Amino acid sequence: MAEINRRTGGFGAWLLDPKRRGALLVTPAIVILFVMNIFPLLWSFGLSFFNYKASSLKVPTFRGLSNYERVLTDEKVWERFQTTAIIVGSSVILQLIIGFLLALMFAKAFPMRRIVLMLVLTPMMLSFVSVGVFFKLFYEPTFGIVSYLLSAFTEDRFVVLGSPAGAIAGIVIADAWMWSPFVMLLVLAGLVSVPKYLYEAAEIDRASSLRRFWTITFPYIKSLLLLAVLFRTIETFKLFDIVYIITEGGPGSSTETIAVYLYRTAFQFFKTSQSSALAYIVLFIVVVMTNLYLYAVNRRAEEVG
Amino acid sequence: MRTFISGLLGATTLAAGLTGAPILAQDITITMAAPDWPPTRFMKEYFDQTYKSPNGGTTTLDMDFIPWPSFYERVAASLTSGEQKYQMIVTDSQWLGAFVEGGYYLDLTDKINSDPELKAITQDLHPALVSAYSTYPHRTRAQLEAAGEVPAPGVNYYGFPQFPDTYVTYYREDIFCHEGEMADFKAKYGTNLPCSYEDWQDTDWAKWGQVGEFFQRKKGEMLAGEKLADDFYGIAFQAGKGYDFSTMQVNAFVWQNGGDIWDESKAPKAQAEGVVNSKAAVDAFDQYLSYLQYMPPVAQTGQMDIFVIQDLYMQGKVGAIIDWVGLGEPVLDPKSSTVHDKSAFGPAPGTRKGDGSIDRTGNIGGQPFVLTTWNSDAVVDEALNVVKWWLSPETQLEATKNGGQSGRMSVMADPSYNGLRPWNRAHVEMIDWQKDVWHIPEFFEMLTQQQEEFDKAITGQITAQEALDSVAEFQQELLEDGGYID
Repeated sequence: MAEINRRTGGFGAWLLDPKRRGALLVTPAIVILFVMNIFPLLWSFGLSFFNYKASSLKVPTFRGLSNYERVLTDEKVWERFQTTAIIVGSSVILQLIIGFLLALMFAKAFPMRRIVLMLVLTPMMLSFVSVGVFFKLFYEPTFGIVSYLLSAFTEDRFVVLGSPAGAIAGIVIADAWMWSPFVMLLVLAGLVSVPKYLYEAAEIDRASSLRRFWTITFPYIKSLLLLAVLFRTIETFKLFDIVYIITEGGPGSSTETIAVYLYRTAFQFFKTSQSSALAYIVLFIVVVMTNLYLYAVNRRAEEVG
Repeated sequence: MRTFISGLLGATTLAAGLTGAPILAQDITITMAAPDWPPTRFMKEYFDQTYKSPNGGTTTLDMDFIPWPSFYERVAASLTSGEQKYQMIVTDSQWLGAFVEGGYYLDLTDKINSDPELKAITQDLHPALVSAYSTYPHRTRAQLEAAGEVPAPGVNYYGFPQFPDTYVTYYREDIFCHEGEMADFKAKYGTNLPCSYEDWQDTDWAKWGQVGEFFQRKKGEMLAGEKLADDFYGIAFQAGKGYDFSTMQVNAFVWQNGGDIWDESKAPKAQAEGVVNSKAAVDAFDQYLSYLQYMPPVAQTGQMDIFVIQDLYMQGKVGAIIDWVGLGEPVLDPKSSTVHDKSAFGPAPGTRKGDGSIDRTGNIGGQPFVLTTWNSDAVVDEALNVVKWWLSPETQLEATKNGGQSGRMSVMADPSYNGLRPWNRAHVEMIDWQKDVWHIPEFFEMLTQQQEEFDKAITGQITAQEALDSVAEFQQELLEDGGYID
């Protein structure tokens, strides 16, 4: 058909010329990307230099870098970064430990392995909202299952979310429950890629289990572990849904992550410019972490290659 | 500008009326943002059944039912995005300032002044509701009454009551009127356990605390002659971090105790520091906190919001709660409530004064509905026809029978009114005590910071004094920056 058009000439033929076909195919995707992503990004970047509130009719005025200065000198912002760091650190460590242990378990054959593996993978396929609601109900002290089970050992109802430490632990457990299977998948991929003959040789050499792990297994999985750490750090850094549903940032502001604070600033307080500045600071951090991630991916590719 | 007039139906029809003036019969669709709950569901259902447009055309009320937890965000996102989706909005009274200043809510003052029917409706509305639901900049009830006329000169009016709400006491009649429990309570405290409506009229916070302590029972203990299968709690009221869930109850304690919040009606003279954290306010907050020990343990997490309280009560885990009238219908529904046939209602407790009377000043609930500024004249006129229909005595009585409430004094004075729903008597008594929180555009920032500090105190991280000092300092700075304080 294209051949006929080309021969007969006209706009259709011009458009379908092989020289333009590639550009034609990617244009819709680029247009959508620009409208839905690039333009809002640039627009909000511009807004971050103005004094603008989306809820106000006042004309925006140029403020230069003062929104960035205000955000970076705001104690609340640094508190939220601190809270985020605690949650990210605890959650990623827990995910690594659980994910690693699960991977070791699933690296060996056992009855009903496939079914159990499928069940273990289920949490990461659920939506954040569902996981948040599950755990909020689990932690509910009057009728929740955690309080109910622990009531056998405590005289009073056990209140998980009643203290800052408990609330952070509650969020970390929910996040780790959801994402440990992801870490497990990555580690499992590393474990199954270890050539069997290496273990056989180690066994002949009577190497201990620990030595076998450090000299054979670990080198194969370390870059995947690094990938898991970076990927989960980036994702947990942006954690919003689970926190908002389980604690709404409470008690007080003790579990308010930077993402929740950003949301409040933008959509509850309507400090549009200030929230844009904060969003760009968060984006910068995520971009740095993503570059580290890409570096790790490339290193892994080189290793495998 | 996007119009929601779906089109002109046929040619212009000449009115058959006496004037002979041509009336344009238009088909109009009014899209209304509404929280998803019985009072708005009923409005839609009854509108579809009964509403006839005076303009001769067909008017469709397209309600966008939004779940309560995301209601503010959804409405705010719609307004600020400029999509101009809604012609009418059911709004919380606190939002008036933010969305009037944003240019989204239509000033109805001229319409009220020029339309005798709207003027008569406004004059018949309870002044506490007009003050809270309609005026911006905010005018207190006292300021409106001092003006001596309705609408008051120099005041801007924006909304009409869609659902006026107050909080009342829900209680388990089967345990509060149980002879054995009554005798035990009398023996322990030397006073009567409130059983009848009149008993609740005489219930102050001190007795509320006694009720809480008395009915706090462990699994296996006896309650009203029956062995408890689970722990039971005496009382519950709002103590939630979300939205305004603790502020609404704390304000009642503060006002009743002679304290105050920052009073925007006295700006720019009114201060936050020294007022918000006055001794009276701190004592009142301390008193509020002292009752949390008798409540279900979820109170210790700062997550005891109005829905959690309602839920625990319906599960039969709490003896008495203070909650909004608007949440009453599910409590009487056997499909959702285990205590549907055991519940009765009374006024909320208050603070006993030196002369023995009880001060029940509280924070008003409920919502007005407003019109948006991008509506065409035809849509504005038709939306006001919808307002008149909703606030007509017939519709108001019907709404009340179905879980709503009326804001019209003449309807509330109807002899049948108190008997229409079991909480009506308490609602009518409580509405006279209502005041409102701030209406300025910065309300959400003030509210969120206050809720956080209250939450810290509720969860035992800081004291009442520390919480209110922090709130006062934050508000003083914010209000000075905003030019609300000299």
